[in-house]
Amino acid sequence: MRARLAAGAVLAVVVLLVPAIAGPFLRYLVLNMLLLALLALSFNLLFGMTGLLSFGQGAFYAGGAYSAALLLRAGVPLLWSILLGALAAAALAAVLGAFCVRHTRIYFSMLTLAFGMLVYAVVWKWTAVTGGDDGLIGIPRARIGLPGPLDFSLDSPARYYLFAAVLVLLSMAVLHRLSASPLGLALRAIRENAERAEFSGVPVRRTIYIAFVTAGLFAGLSGALLAPLEQTVSPSTAHWTKSAEPVMATLIGGPLSFLGPILGAVVYLGLKEIIVRFTEYWLLVFGLVLLAMVLVFRGGLVGAASRLRMPRRRT
Amino acid sequence: MAPRRGTTRRRFLKSTGLALAGLGLPRAIGAATADLKLKKPIKIGCQTILSGPLGGYGEFMRKGATLAMEEINAQGGIGGSPIEISFRDEELKVDVGVKNARYFVEDWGADFLIGIDSSAVALAVGEIMPSLNRILIVTHGATEKYNEDLVFKRHVRQCFRVCVPVYQDGIASALVAKDLPVKRWATISPDYEYGHTSWRMFRAYLKRFKPDVEFVGESFAKFGTVDFSSHISKVMGLSPEGIFSTEWGGEAVTMVKQAKLFKVFEQTKAFMIGMGAAMDVLQGLGADYPDGVWASGRYYFGYPDSAENKRFNEAFRKRWDTYPSYPSETAYTAVQALKKAVEKARSVETEKVIEALEGLELDRPAGKCVIRKEDHQAVYAVPWGQIRHDPKFPMPTLTNLKVFTTDEYYRKPPFAPVEG
Repeated sequence: MRARLAAGAVLAVVVLLVPAIAGPFLRYLVLNMLLLALLALSFNLLFGMTGLLSFGQGAFYAGGAYSAALLLRAGVPLLWSILLGALAAAALAAVLGAFCVRHTRIYFSMLTLAFGMLVYAVVWKWTAVTGGDDGLIGIPRARIGLPGPLDFSLDSPARYYLFAAVLVLLSMAVLHRLSASPLGLALRAIRENAERAEFSGVPVRRTIYIAFVTAGLFAGLSGALLAPLEQTVSPSTAHWTKSAEPVMATLIGGPLSFLGPILGAVVYLGLKEIIVRFTEYWLLVFGLVLLAMVLVFRGGLVGAASRLRMPRRRT
Repeated sequence: MAPRRGTTRRRFLKSTGLALAGLGLPRAIGAATADLKLKKPIKIGCQTILSGPLGGYGEFMRKGATLAMEEINAQGGIGGSPIEISFRDEELKVDVGVKNARYFVEDWGADFLIGIDSSAVALAVGEIMPSLNRILIVTHGATEKYNEDLVFKRHVRQCFRVCVPVYQDGIASALVAKDLPVKRWATISPDYEYGHTSWRMFRAYLKRFKPDVEFVGESFAKFGTVDFSSHISKVMGLSPEGIFSTEWGGEAVTMVKQAKLFKVFEQTKAFMIGMGAAMDVLQGLGADYPDGVWASGRYYFGYPDSAENKRFNEAFRKRWDTYPSYPSETAYTAVQALKKAVEKARSVETEKVIEALEGLELDRPAGKCVIRKEDHQAVYAVPWGQIRHDPKFPMPTLTNLKVFTTDEYYRKPPFAPVEG
């Protein structure tokens, strides 16, 4: 436990030191990694912990991004726009979740995929509100919206980085606490054997529903933080290819440990960024590298690392 | 990675430079420009679509930009500084486009940005140009919101565009259509901004030119459509006399092939495709392209009949062994415009080059053009024409060219809303 606390502290310090040591592009890239890490953690609440593969996290990500963007454009202060954006995504998850949690396995995956693309279609067609395929542009990085002297402007990218990084780190702490809580244990019990969990008194459907809405909330927060960063939001945030990113990050990092999705997000975006600099046929190289990683490191990077450690322990 | 790339490119440039000089191209032996003591090299970041079914567009853009770079460097660069262009895949995704722009400026050290195929990406990247404080010259994305809203109404001064906007698809097309014996029009177009805006402009302007026309139906196909049969039968069920389409790239090729199976070209009197004269559509359809289809683009290699266009065509074919498509010309022009503006400003500073670009006159392959000061839009005319099969060319070409003055079809400040 102490080791974990130390790991968390190191992560937090590194993340918060980035603006002091890195250039603007690296800072931007790290923030993108943090947002993907948060999205992947929210996804892994359903996947690694509960055993449900959601292909629709993009819907909540976009829900958060568009809600925050609309609020910011209407002049609402930044912090409130972001929190309300995340809540809007949670509300969306509460509605869609009511349908999705009725099924498990592939049926659950197909439902989330279908609802995800439904949200995408709405975003694409509802031009009056969402700007259609042009998306919403001109999103201000407004004042934070705290009372008195704390009400500073986040217009500078370095400040916004710190603001967003703190929110992401806090969310990670909450999610970590959640995974060790009775709710987390109940979710794992459902993953291992839903019937048995039901018989031991775990209300299976309700527990999954809570996990689904929580995952929607944090996916929404990740999306809401994206809006002021990019200052534009586009329908691609809702597309299934966006929903696939947390899946990839989690598979690379390893779904069975808390650190896995975070590590996976760093590797996924880092690798892509490196490969793009070498070749214009980056998709081919990237695909091959990902394929190799998934095949070689079963259980993800974290899983492979712990397997390496295991034999030593036994002797 | 960077040093290795640099040397190969330099070596490569040296050899092409020598080759061009040896071939005696008039440009290559022109006097080297005076050394303005600018930073070396001047870096230009170009992003375009390089993957997926529309990747061919990006390939053509890269060829055009590269040709301009080679020609300029062979003459001693811009004010004595060689230029270096880096290419990145835009993927037609807004987040990728924004990230590329940031990478180019903040990490790679780009002095200027060019490229961009998608309208949505052009708007999003345009949005962050003030904070990056670099000039962006769009070479393909065509939404009128870019010049009308972003530049003219919201004064984002860093944004420029050297390709004709949707006025070509929506207004010049109406000028062609008003003289056709067609009263009932319908559309099969892509289900995004470009398709909807073009159709809206076409209807509004054609109604103004010829009040007795009717618009009987529309079918919008989503991005990535491979089966147009439902769209074709839906529209043909309304018995239109003419069909207006803004499908492009591989989708235009597919649509025309399927429309042939439905005998659409026998049952209608006119068929118009806004991007139908793009090289990939001409080459993609080849002998399957029905004679008489009206087509246009952002540049057509056969127009105008000028010395500059002839020289460009020859240089392009010598270098790449293909006819230039329109993104080649617009990317080529973007780089040449930057050269001219930097030499005029005697600086690469954003503010000074913006002033130099405003009102700049260019003799580009597509003809004489001026970059409008009010909305930073390059103004030049591109013809519409009818497809014909000329054995002299390896692909279909245009005949019966209709050229309108830019005064007739470019919307002007203050840009009254398009009614309808």
